Amino acid sequence: MLANEMFDLRNTLDQQGITFCYSGYMTEAILFGIGNAIKTHMEIGDADAKLAKGVFAVFVEQVQNVIRYSAEKVGKEDASELRYGILTVGTMGEKPFVACGNMIEIKDADRLRDSLTHIKGLDRDGLKALWKETLRGEVPEGSKGAGVGFIDIARHARGGIDFDFRTVDDAYVFFTLKALL
Amino acid sequence: MNTLHMPATERTPELLFDFAANTFSLKGESYPENIAEFYSSPVGQLKEHLTAQKGQKITFQFELPYFNSSSAKIILGLFSMLEQAAVDGNKVLITWTCEEGDDMQEMGEEFAEDLDAAKFELKFLG
Repeated sequence: MLANEMFDLRNTLDQQGITFCYSGYMTEAILFGIGNAIKTHMEIGDADAKLAKGVFAVFVEQVQNVIRYSAEKVGKEDASELRYGILTVGTMGEKPFVACGNMIEIKDADRLRDSLTHIKGLDRDGLKALWKETLRGEVPEGSKGAGVGFIDIARHARGGIDFDFRTVDDAYVFFTLKALL
Repeated sequence: MNTLHMPATERTPELLFDFAANTFSLKGESYPENIAEFYSSPVGQLKEHLTAQKGQKITFQFELPYFNSSSAKIILGLFSMLEQAAVDGNKVLITWTCEEGDDMQEMGEEFAEDLDAAKFELKFLG
């Protein structure tokens, strides 16, 4: 029974081409550990070095987004804080993907949707220009990094990005972003 | 000023700032847990040092196989400080070492687009 349940879950993931899946509270140590496993897995599989680096880069930005911004969290806003997210890495057709999902506050959904719609509509030169403009500018309010993570993800995602939102309740929306390398 | 040396860790590059010789380098992957904790102090010291330089030969070597987007902001800031030092009458050389055709080559070239007075050299590994 127990084996059946876990085997079914494993097969469900496998059928979706998922090779790595983590759902839970994310930390920088988890980022480092899973990141290394992804690198090793791609090396063993003789993946193109440039592609492997892209997958790793997108993975880092996605996980750091969860660690910094997921609205589903426990603990106080300091080192003891933990934020929840779900991450999958796999291949769709021949192309690797990195997908990540987490709760956001409903008030942030429109801004995020607008920003990602804009990024998704840009070509490579447009992304490059926005990347530099954003790096040069002041760090946006509420950002804990350079505010350039999504642009960075889109630059690496040569197969494009997809994103979606699903309302959970009055306060929260589940947000997901998938990058195809 | 003295020399600042931080050995590379799994997530931070080796940082070698030799203020007396005016040679500086960052070598290794850069995706620190806490970007400010790693870069704030050395970058602040470098900025102060560069402002005081006149007619000097200044070299900064970058060899970063991977850096995250928060590190990119720091690197762009370093390029801008070095460009200013060149505008202020120093001879500034920035070298950028990477694999040929790598994304890092593209990034380096993009950072270099803002340079005018400082000289930029691309070097390939292998």
